[in-house]
Amino acid sequence: MSDRFGLGWRPALAAGILSNLDKIDLVEVIADDFFHAAKRERRALRTLASQTAVTLHGVSLGMASAVPVDSRRLDKMARLCGEVGPVSWSEHLAFVRGGGIEIGHLAAPPRTSATIDGTLANLARARTIVGFAPQVENVATLIDPPGSDRDEATWIAEIIREAKSDLLLDLHNLYANALNFQFDPFAFIARLPAERIAAIHLAGGKWIGANGARRLLDDHLHDVPDPVYDLLAAVGERATRSLTVILERDGDFPAIDCLMDQLERARQALAQGRLRLACKKGEAATA
Amino acid sequence: MSASGFEAFLAKIYVDEGARVRFLSDPSGEATKAGLTTQEVEAVERIDRVGLELMSKSLERKRMKRSRTRSGAVARLLRRA
Repeated sequence: MSDRFGLGWRPALAAGILSNLDKIDLVEVIADDFFHAAKRERRALRTLASQTAVTLHGVSLGMASAVPVDSRRLDKMARLCGEVGPVSWSEHLAFVRGGGIEIGHLAAPPRTSATIDGTLANLARARTIVGFAPQVENVATLIDPPGSDRDEATWIAEIIREAKSDLLLDLHNLYANALNFQFDPFAFIARLPAERIAAIHLAGGKWIGANGARRLLDDHLHDVPDPVYDLLAAVGERATRSLTVILERDGDFPAIDCLMDQLERARQALAQGRLRLACKKGEAATA
Repeated sequence: MSASGFEAFLAKIYVDEGARVRFLSDPSGEATKAGLTTQEVEAVERIDRVGLELMSKSLERKRMKRSRTRSGAVARLLRRA
């Protein structure tokens, strides 16, 4: 297995990332930041892509919705993919607008057959227009999505099995949802089709709200908490293919060495999980 | 109501404070007025109120931050001009 480890590209991290390219296998770039970018910014992105592998990450398509994705947005993603030649692209299993209202963030849709059907249709359109399928990412939510008739693991597994899409499993989103809505994140991982897990996001967050009504917010402004590394080891124990692991940090930036240390911890956690899997296979073979 | 209509209703109460206050004071009345089905009305009557409050506050903070960023960008452009 040759897993890859990288960082989310943010202008404030640019110098740090460029000076550590020998220790970073790829960078993840927010695609939407370049949809209306000036020529020189897009040229800079192409230059970056010539120095290291790039994956493009969408945040505004609204893929998990009963409403069809705007084909103009998909056209922009297609054009950017054509220019940059990313190793992959991804988008969230979220809706971001409804009835003409922009929510301004990723919202978890009701987990129903209707949103599964809508998502499958949107993923098919995305595959056709962009030319290859996106990886789809689970989202963190502060609200238990109203109108849901199944749990999150069931809903996601149905989508990725039906769409034959790869999963970008955000482990801090999973961790936050597990704490906020009291479920076992390890059992969640065990219920996902392991062969579809292709990429991982790591991040941090903080508790918000008053006592008795607190929720963990996935804000990307804090270090990766210890339990998220345990979840990464658990994924390593199940994943059947090479993984791309991206550390996301959106602000309150620490020194780049601190982020590189977190990336190193991620390498160790995933290796530990892979080793556990190899030991289990060895035991089964000798039994 | 269609699934897309239900998403639109959720988007409104997540983002629009006035709509959210009206909804929280009379969930079934507001949902019925919006054309939601009986099943959908029942779903929003059971809404996770803690989550709704925290999510709407979080969205509000994000919008304000984005607005400040845009204002900063405009100010920089004006200084350059």
